[in-house]
Amino acid sequence: MPRVVSLYLPTWPTDRLRRKLGADAPPPDVPLVLVGREGRQRLVLAADRAAQAAGLRIGMEAVRAQALIANLVVKDADLVGDATALDKLALWALRRYSPIVASDPPDGLVIDMTGAAHLLGGEAAMLADLSSRVINVGLSAHAAMADSWGAAHAVARSIRQQVWLVTTGGSRDALAPLPIARLRLAAETIAGLRRLGFETIGELAATARAPLALRFGSEVGRRLDQAFSAVREVITPIRADELVSVRRAFAEPIAAPETLHRYTRKLVETLCSELEAKALGARRLDLLFFRIDNRIEAIRVGTSMPVREAKRLVRLLGDKIETIEPGFGIEIMTLTATVAEPLMPKQRVTALVEEEEADVSDLVDILANRVGSHRVYALQAVSSDVPERSVAVASPPTAAGTLAPPTQWPRPSRLLTPPEVIEAIAMLPDHPPVAFTWRGVRRRVKRADGPERIFGEWWKRDAELAAVRDYFRVEDEAGERFWIYRAGDGEDTETGSHRWFMHGLFG
Amino acid sequence: MTDAYAELHCTSHFSFLRGASSCDELFAQAAALGIDALGIVDRNSLAGIVRAHIAAKETGVRLVVGCRLDLADGTALLVYPIDRFAYGRLCRLLSLGKKRAGKGKCELHWSDVAEHAEGLIGILVPNEPDDLTGLNLRRLASVFGDRAYLALTLRRRPNDHLRLHELSLLAARARVPTVVTNDVLFHAPHRRILQDVVTCIRRNCTIDDAGFRRERHADRYLKPPDEMARLFALHPEAVRRTREIAARCRFNLEELAYQYPEEATMAGLTPQAALEHLTWEGARERYPEGVPDKIVATLRHELQLIAKLRYAPYFLTVNSIVRFARSRDILCQGRGSAANSAVCFVLGITSIDPDRNDLLFERFVSEERQEPPDIDVDFEHERREIVMQWVYDTYGRDHAALCSTVTRYRSKGALRDIGKALGLPEDLIKGLSGQVWGWSEEGVQEKHAKGLNINLEDRRLRLALSLAQELIGAPRHLSQHPGGFVLTHDRLDELVPIEPAAMTDRQIIEWDKDDIDELRFMKVDVLALGMLTCMKRGFDLLKQHKDISLNLATIPAEDPRTYAMIRKADTLGVFQIESRAQMAMLPRIKPRTFYDLVIEVAIVRPGPIQGDMVHPYLRRREGKEAVEYPKPELERVLGKTLGVPLFQEQAMRVAIVCAGFSPSEADQLRRAMATFKHTGGVTKFGEKLVKGMVKRGYTEEFAVRTFSQLEGFGSYGFPESHAASFALIAYASSWLKCHHPDVFCAALLNAQPMGFYAPAQIVRDAREHGVEVRPVCVNASRWDCTLEPSGDGLAVRLGLRMVRSLSNVDGASLVAARGDRPFGSIDDLWRRAGVPAATLVHLADADAFRESLTLARREALWAIKALRDEPLPLFAAAARRAGAALPEAIEPAVELKPMKEGSEVVEDYGHVGLSLRRHPLFFIRDELTARRIVTCGRVGEVKDGTWLEAAGIVLVRQMPGSAKGVMFITIEDETGVANLVIWPDLFERQRREILGSSMMSVKGRVQREGEVVHLIASCVTDCSTLLASVGERDGIFTLPAGRGDEARHSGGGPDSRSAKVRPRDIYDPYEHIDTLKVKARAFR
Repeated sequence: MPRVVSLYLPTWPTDRLRRKLGADAPPPDVPLVLVGREGRQRLVLAADRAAQAAGLRIGMEAVRAQALIANLVVKDADLVGDATALDKLALWALRRYSPIVASDPPDGLVIDMTGAAHLLGGEAAMLADLSSRVINVGLSAHAAMADSWGAAHAVARSIRQQVWLVTTGGSRDALAPLPIARLRLAAETIAGLRRLGFETIGELAATARAPLALRFGSEVGRRLDQAFSAVREVITPIRADELVSVRRAFAEPIAAPETLHRYTRKLVETLCSELEAKALGARRLDLLFFRIDNRIEAIRVGTSMPVREAKRLVRLLGDKIETIEPGFGIEIMTLTATVAEPLMPKQRVTALVEEEEADVSDLVDILANRVGSHRVYALQAVSSDVPERSVAVASPPTAAGTLAPPTQWPRPSRLLTPPEVIEAIAMLPDHPPVAFTWRGVRRRVKRADGPERIFGEWWKRDAELAAVRDYFRVEDEAGERFWIYRAGDGEDTETGSHRWFMHGLFG
Repeated sequence: MTDAYAELHCTSHFSFLRGASSCDELFAQAAALGIDALGIVDRNSLAGIVRAHIAAKETGVRLVVGCRLDLADGTALLVYPIDRFAYGRLCRLLSLGKKRAGKGKCELHWSDVAEHAEGLIGILVPNEPDDLTGLNLRRLASVFGDRAYLALTLRRRPNDHLRLHELSLLAARARVPTVVTNDVLFHAPHRRILQDVVTCIRRNCTIDDAGFRRERHADRYLKPPDEMARLFALHPEAVRRTREIAARCRFNLEELAYQYPEEATMAGLTPQAALEHLTWEGARERYPEGVPDKIVATLRHELQLIAKLRYAPYFLTVNSIVRFARSRDILCQGRGSAANSAVCFVLGITSIDPDRNDLLFERFVSEERQEPPDIDVDFEHERREIVMQWVYDTYGRDHAALCSTVTRYRSKGALRDIGKALGLPEDLIKGLSGQVWGWSEEGVQEKHAKGLNINLEDRRLRLALSLAQELIGAPRHLSQHPGGFVLTHDRLDELVPIEPAAMTDRQIIEWDKDDIDELRFMKVDVLALGMLTCMKRGFDLLKQHKDISLNLATIPAEDPRTYAMIRKADTLGVFQIESRAQMAMLPRIKPRTFYDLVIEVAIVRPGPIQGDMVHPYLRRREGKEAVEYPKPELERVLGKTLGVPLFQEQAMRVAIVCAGFSPSEADQLRRAMATFKHTGGVTKFGEKLVKGMVKRGYTEEFAVRTFSQLEGFGSYGFPESHAASFALIAYASSWLKCHHPDVFCAALLNAQPMGFYAPAQIVRDAREHGVEVRPVCVNASRWDCTLEPSGDGLAVRLGLRMVRSLSNVDGASLVAARGDRPFGSIDDLWRRAGVPAATLVHLADADAFRESLTLARREALWAIKALRDEPLPLFAAAARRAGAALPEAIEPAVELKPMKEGSEVVEDYGHVGLSLRRHPLFFIRDELTARRIVTCGRVGEVKDGTWLEAAGIVLVRQMPGSAKGVMFITIEDETGVANLVIWPDLFERQRREILGSSMMSVKGRVQREGEVVHLIASCVTDCSTLLASVGERDGIFTLPAGRGDEARHSGGGPDSRSAKVRPRDIYDPYEHIDTLKVKARAFR
């Protein structure tokens, strides 16, 4: 008879957040909820014990929750983080308790303890150990052991105690008084059954199967069978990291850069064929050199898109081999694709059909690995009239393409950040200056165009509610062109200081 | 030189969600800046032109009527009619475009413009000085000839001056003169922010994403002529031409002469002769035993007046509409100032017998006011469409259209749209607007946010609140007026643009009711009145079941039993006098005659209440205060109402008689009070009135009081004739309720939704009056509620219409399939009626299988769940042959747990809207008693001044515009209703509980006024969660059980011998139970 443990973490997201915040976390008696957006609604996605005691429910609107409790702490939910962390917890349990552990999202683990409990001093001791360890790190948890996943799952979610052991063969009795919502059925099936008066699993189990199946499908029967161990349910265990990694040990330590280079290429080739088998491409490679003096040298390279082209990866890694200090020699090299993403073979376009887009990702990768990825970027036009905001830094494009200019109006090729104060004299309200002094040089204005009136983006900051800049394109006697502006509209002092600034240079 | 500029290019907020300023603001600003002519050019629309006309009259700035045409190819043209004919062509052009494009849109092409261009001045609004502009210029020149201009507009963008220069070169080449415009979108610079936001609302994006969708050209506010001259110093001739164009456009809206449509009822007779003929004929029918002399005299007098004012065609029009309705047996009733004339009575337009009821009919049309007479006709709301289509067909779609109604932003809508544009989360907006009373215009304020524990430091939120405040009152779009028809003799589309309405086969004009009033067009209101539908159904049922034939005019008059019922305020469901405020007034007015009812209807209106006329009237009526008139002239005006002005026309009369106003001034006073409440026009009249009265020998104190009384009127006062018409329907419905409560109940249920009360209260009230009400039943109910014989009386059988989500089509096919052979089983019903299984679920939810098939909700649902999409063909064939339903499978019987009684009630409420079982509060009474909460019935028994706490389901929340922020709430429990009064300070303190609870408990002090008892609330508690728990309750378990009766205590769970998890250990944060939701009705 299988024995399964279900661990239920009722307030997993909030507990996790509290742990993360450490000393900054709100005290346990202060209600905490996590909210997330669903469409244009903000809903409570998780609530801690205090919040639930105060009457907040998962799924209620964030504003209503706030209105109900004055000192409520509201934070953003992190669903992906919760799921990842749950997997990590599963890995911990995998090492500690049993080879078959799976996460039971969103808020639990399932552990197959069949024939393994005695190693930990028996079932009760194992449960107590699991529960106390989890609770000691600040998670609220309920754990139950039963003959099936279904039974343990249902019991763990129904008890107030921290652990509950359902003896072998006792599932049927234990489940009978529990609500049918514990059966892992679709919400609408539960609702339909409840409408017909089925409240507990016992009532449902006592009902003839055929009429139930006719009305609600076979799922009801399946879940009941699973819970009562009539049908075996497979737990697909979580695997330790499925990283693609290759390793090479050397009989004699190697040290010469050329040798390192050669073996790097060999490792990359092996890795690429393994990646290909899994239809993956590498986004990050870690090449580790284990020296005989027990030190490890490492190279890490990244790519802007998944790659499994050996030549390219070798070049990226090769560029950095010179940074490796081999010492007395290297006896092991491992190459791991620490980040890999799916990469499907792609049809190349033929010249007949359309122009092939130049792929610049190779160049981008080389540059990024040489100078650092934060130094390689592209500029992107933003729909904003404020010059400083009209371009934004974006990650470099993978295909060569031209970016549309931000506006149809002439803009200087270079902007000064921040704009520099100049001295200028101009007639109010809207005439260009006759002359101005910038960086100590006085220039007479020969030609000018303007003003171009640009308003502050009032929705961003209070200071911009009334702010106005009047921009002029001016040309001095030497034919140099500048973009200067006056803060303010020349009439109303609310709109700016009326000082002049140099903002850009035309090429 | 300074006045050499007229602004021709102003967009008002009638270019919906584009312009950000009202015409009033634009004209006031223009006047302040010294601009003496303003051209209003809204996008493909003349909707704001009447408002602009009024603003122009008030400020003295001339209005140049115009319109901006956005052609389908993207060209923008400004056009201005120079005379009446050109204006007519412009209207036709716009009507054409609107008809082509459908509601709210307009599609026009150059060719359309060319056809209608005669007499229009055209200004091209160019973009860049490129080939396209050159092409358009040549088109412009060929279409408009010497009336073509090119607009020069400063954009405050690079190369502005170069652009203007090149544009003027292009124009010169095409021989088109240039003219300066400023493309104004708002009156003053600070409106820019609001303009950005409305753009976002229009483009349905948030301000952060708006990017270049915002208006990109700067400085779109009105600038003084000096400044314009300075800005366009290089184009002085183009600046001067603005004046030239303004001078060329001589058209003024006052020129829109209006003619009544001709009635072709009687060949060879003038309208007057035809009317007289019909009148005397009608009089003979009304008075078969001979027309009384008094009536003859009255009729003569009225006909004379009609002849003098040439109103005969109008009366004939109303008469033919009413005749048509009569011919289709559609119940109708006229009201309005002219409706209570003897002529209207004998023509059958109204049912108020002028002989029986002493109405001041000699003023039914005001000779002085020079205003078209006013008759509104109410029809049964379900069949009004027939009448409307007849009007369109008879008068022609070129001559008849509905007025539009300008939908304006109120607090909630403004916050919703602004919040969306500023990217506030939806739940926040919803939470905030839930704190605001629906009709208020106070705006959402910081105090509301505080009530929700919302952080007001948030900049966006504060911005949203203040912008929403600014947006309140701005028009959002045009929708159709409920029934105001404009009928003309000439083509209507030469008077005003017509557009198709959202409803098929309807068309509306661009102007609303006030605009029509301003221009003195004739309007016939064809309104829908739910109570008429109810009365019609009531009369039909009376005829069918009791063989009593009645109509509005023949209902026994002055019936003492009916008045006795009304005096007890036992008026739930009857017309008008069913509202809380009315019910509270009834025992004080103590109506004994029809005229008392007229006063009752008129007195509980915002006008009299705000003017503080109610208490003086009541005191005088009860003899506590002497009725005195400072001067005998006042007695003539106010004699009938004991010296207190209660009706609108009395207010005007007072101004005329006591303050020496001319009739037209009195009329202006009325309008000032109604329409321009916010512009301060009233104060001007106030001074004049007080001065006039003092001069005529009244004391200043009396004069000031009179003025404050009059101030309450305006649109909120009833004219006496309206009150009389409403009183008649109120009386008729009361009579029906009094003498035939069964018929009244069925008719009222069938006319839902209408009135203040939900079906639950109507049914409860009927049962309290001894009417038997039977539940919905698949084998007995028809679509409508019906009457069934029961003992020696009649019982009301709820109809299938009461079943939530059941479609009329399915309901009808069920009844048709049933015929006279009742359904034997669910299977039988499903096969014979051919309705989808989902429909059966609705019926099962409504418990419609219990009575005849003895299937409870769950059993029925269980059976329905087993049905497939289609019957199996072989079984179907066998069933046909056998003539009975054959089960497709034999399955083991399943015993379902019966529903708890509380759940049954919850389900009843959820799916039928009422329960014939127990009241929900019955199930939680023990808890309430434990909390020392008394029943609502108790509230009515204790003595005045007692403090107590009562609880109940919230039925009605009402905050009459009159009551200075006082809110009335009606709560109900199993013993009856209690009426709460919430004072404004409590409302502010407990806004969330008061507006948000579906059940509340209230601590307060009992106040008795005769038979009417109020609970003056001092503290409100939200009990909604307690109410929601009713579904878990069982009636049986709340009853005290004997000690030995263990079965009752342990319940029938599974055997509990083995080690098992006890239910009390169950901890379930996710559980959602079916909860009882009762939605209260809210009223202004």
